[in-house]
Amino acid sequence: MNAPDRYEKFVVPDGLKKVAYERDTKVPNAATFTLQREDHTMGNLIRMQLHRDKHVMFSGYKIPHPLEYRMLIKVQTDGSKTPIEAADGALKDLQDELNDIREQFVKEAERQQPEAMIF
Amino acid sequence: MICGPDLSQHTSTVTSANIYMGLGIDNSWSQEQFEEDFSIHINSIDEHDIEFDMRHVDPSIANAVRRILISEVPTMAIEHVFFVNNTSIITEEVLAHRLGLVPIKVDPALFEDKTNECSPNERNTVVLKLKVDCKRQGEEIINEKVYSGQLQWLPEGSEMPEETTCRFARSQAGAIPGGVDLVHDNILLAKMRPGQSIELEAHCIKGVGSEHAKWSPVGTAWYRLHPELEVLQAITGLMADEIVALCPGLFVMEGSGEQRQAKVTSARGNEMQLEKVRRLLSEEEWAKYLQLRKRKEHFIFTIQSTGALAPETLFMRAVDKLADKCDTLLGRL
Repeated sequence: MNAPDRYEKFVVPDGLKKVAYERDTKVPNAATFTLQREDHTMGNLIRMQLHRDKHVMFSGYKIPHPLEYRMLIKVQTDGSKTPIEAADGALKDLQDELNDIREQFVKEAERQQPEAMIF
Repeated sequence: MICGPDLSQHTSTVTSANIYMGLGIDNSWSQEQFEEDFSIHINSIDEHDIEFDMRHVDPSIANAVRRILISEVPTMAIEHVFFVNNTSIITEEVLAHRLGLVPIKVDPALFEDKTNECSPNERNTVVLKLKVDCKRQGEEIINEKVYSGQLQWLPEGSEMPEETTCRFARSQAGAIPGGVDLVHDNILLAKMRPGQSIELEAHCIKGVGSEHAKWSPVGTAWYRLHPELEVLQAITGLMADEIVALCPGLFVMEGSGEQRQAKVTSARGNEMQLEKVRRLLSEEEWAKYLQLRKRKEHFIFTIQSTGALAPETLFMRAVDKLADKCDTLLGRL
């Protein structure tokens, strides 16, 4: 009866930003990103990618409440780049990585069954 | 990773690019290094299933792909069912739920998402019809069992647009190559007795698994790590006899007489035997001879499609979806 609509899980409501950025006031070079309608899929992925960055001192993610579809990522850098730059870099790296995975999968699939592939 | 009898050790991956700085090793991200290391090898592929090895990726990527396969790659499934007549014993809501779970063989990429505001049309809806009457014909009862194969595709759209508000501007017949079909024709939907009948129209829309599992394109998708069995100390004599007898296939005997020694063939492909070894590891006498390990960067990925899309297409769509998500976030950052 008062159940929320099922699509609320993945549709960002009007007036809410997909990504919100807030600087941490107590810790230098730190910030929190609030991502609406994202879960562990992107949370863990971005966190691990940030860990591969030399200039990132800390990165972690949390989902504050299981019924609220938002995810927080906290990033602290060493000062040579801003948290935004770090997140931007991590996402771009991920895209390159996924492109390569895609390419190699197509190559391998074509090797396996050269006639049947339709992508 | 070392798998002990009751606890696994060294399970986490590297969590900082600076972790080996003291040793002069820089393990920060490098696309060149990734492209050099990364590899994919398909072990088996058929209409529904695929198994492939994916090496040198972070578990977060493998897991993201798995999660997206299960819950975010769209398919078409029956969402609205309009009953004209139902005198069978199965109630409308139960039958409607059963219909929803029937996999439909049509490419969802040909359709648009249907939001609550937009009315059903030829770009976002597939209409199916089911009309069965159970009758006695001599000794035989016809249509005693209703199967999914009796669902008929209506490319011209709903036959009762007044009630369903579904109006097609033009036929779907040419727009969908291969037409709409069911993956399985033999799913039992309902049972009837003579004189009973079911008449309904089922409308399929596009959706994702996170909204309802009926839209999940996979039966399941999973990965496991490549197993390794390490012999720490040579196993000889009576112990060798025992282990070869216990785990045939996993261990073979080499040499004879006093020189005989048990050797591991291959941990992969002998998973049943590995479980026996895992149990043996809790016994002190064996723990010093054997160690069960898993390669943290070697994923054996399996995708079981429900049949709507080919498994290799599913993987591609999952990777594309993941790239899309990165794109959206980059755009909003």
